[in-house]
Amino acid sequence: MIQFQAINETLTRRGAATLSWLRGWGSLIWFAYSALVHALSPATYNSATRSVIQKQIYFTAWQILPGYTLFAALLSFVIIQIVVSTARDFGLSDFALETVIRVLVLEILPLVTALFVALRSSAAINTEVALMNVHNEIKALEDLGVDAMQLEFIPRVIGGTLSVLALSTVSGLMALILAYVVVYGAHPWNFPAYTLVVSKIFDLGILLGLGFKVVLFGMAVTVIPISEGLRAPSKLFFVPIAVLRGMVRLFFVLMLIEVASLALKYI
Amino acid sequence: MERAPVRAPLIKNLEFKVGLLMVLTGIIALAFLIYVLHARGAFEDSQALVLTADNADGVSIGMPVTFSGFPIGQVRRMTLTDEGQVRLTVDVPEKNLRWLRSTSVFTLEKPLVGGAKIRAYTANLQDPALVPDAEIPLHTGDTSQEIPVIVAKVRAILENVQAMTQSGSSIDQTLTHVSTITGRMSGPYGLMEGVLGDGEKARKLVDTIDHANTVLKSVNGISLRVDGMLGKTEQRLFAEGGAMDEVQQSLAQINVLLREAQGSLKKADAILGNAEAISADVKGATTDIGTLRAEVDDSLNKVNHLINDINRIWPFKGEGELTLP
Repeated sequence: MIQFQAINETLTRRGAATLSWLRGWGSLIWFAYSALVHALSPATYNSATRSVIQKQIYFTAWQILPGYTLFAALLSFVIIQIVVSTARDFGLSDFALETVIRVLVLEILPLVTALFVALRSSAAINTEVALMNVHNEIKALEDLGVDAMQLEFIPRVIGGTLSVLALSTVSGLMALILAYVVVYGAHPWNFPAYTLVVSKIFDLGILLGLGFKVVLFGMAVTVIPISEGLRAPSKLFFVPIAVLRGMVRLFFVLMLIEVASLALKYI
Repeated sequence: MERAPVRAPLIKNLEFKVGLLMVLTGIIALAFLIYVLHARGAFEDSQALVLTADNADGVSIGMPVTFSGFPIGQVRRMTLTDEGQVRLTVDVPEKNLRWLRSTSVFTLEKPLVGGAKIRAYTANLQDPALVPDAEIPLHTGDTSQEIPVIVAKVRAILENVQAMTQSGSSIDQTLTHVSTITGRMSGPYGLMEGVLGDGEKARKLVDTIDHANTVLKSVNGISLRVDGMLGKTEQRLFAEGGAMDEVQQSLAQINVLLREAQGSLKKADAILGNAEAISADVKGATTDIGTLRAEVDDSLNKVNHLINDINRIWPFKGEGELTLP
């Protein structure tokens, strides 16, 4: 009888944990959906939200722009050198440029940008929202008739997404220029050959896919921390747990998006 | 527990900085989009041509078509017809059309390492221009497909070579024979030894010829002596009778002697005949032997003459002719 009870308790705990896990994903998807709906409605954009968006972009993108650009350039340069010299050793120089652009511009740089922003801003957003939840600030705002979703969260999602877009674009351009210089040297003569390779890689599908992927990355790095912060119980000691859960879930989602994008492109 | 409200520090030129970043991002994205459209020939008139092939292994959309190593066009579309033929639609920008003529040949080459390549060859750039949407066969030169055939052929050749070079083969035997013959030719009797088989036989032939020469010399000597003797006999014949018997006897002896000479000459002649037959195609040797024979003939004629003389002088006419068989 005691054994039966133990099994029953174990199953109940497992079931509760699974349900909570599923509820977490459910609320995340629901939050993402409502964020998207809000972001697309013009009513969201007023002077108050605009100011929050600007600050979010300033802290997420502008502040780290020089450092991140430098880092992206260094990473790109090293990877380009490795790929180009290896390809030359195997007599496959023709494919070096294409490989480099595909690897860097389409895959590595957007992912690294998302991870960079995740480490820097997502953790901060997650903590802030969890603390707001603990201090009942959200409820207080609602009592005052202010929609916290519209004033606090949606601007962060928009600002974060735009930041990831901007950083990805700048680092991608850097990689494209570096790839040209490393492969062809700093002369303009080989631009037609470069153009040919670019035309071979980027078609409408790839461009749309790249844009969509970067937007998804940008949304993930803001939506997941906010959603996890909101879900945290109103106890101060739950804040670190909420941040940890948010970061793990964010990492998982980023990888999932990347794998899905690779699978769609190459399988 | 109340939290002190977090005041964001006042940021200088916040709007300008964020605006700059956003505009920059927008410009980069737009410029790249335009660049990609330009790269894909969106702002350039191009002409399509259709390449038909049985197999389009290794061909991909966007693959360049090269002329003299320079890309002049790209594969835009690949379709499979109901007949199982592959149709590759290639876009060639207007400015590159001058490299392609109606007589241009297109090949699909698949190297062992690396991707396939479509190459265009134009023999004469003055030929009439390519018709729009022209259908041109694509020749496939697949190295890897030809390798098994080449290997099979090479193997057959190697087997033949092996059969030719192994010991006991016809070529080996022939070479051994040639080696034997040339080995003999390098012996003291040269070509004759090579033809006759060994040095011993050649030596015999040469000995025989020498012998014949010696015999002829002695016959010459004998005939001289006979001449002298005839003079004496005549003297004695006309001077005094009684010596006739002696003379007759000595003449009979001479006759015997000459018959013996004839016999030995016949033998020599037979050997020479054989030698001539053996070395029929060896011109030099034949000429030598011919000369020899002529000499022998000459000698025999002389002897005949001698005997005729004797017969003329001698009233007891006997059988005195010597002929060479």
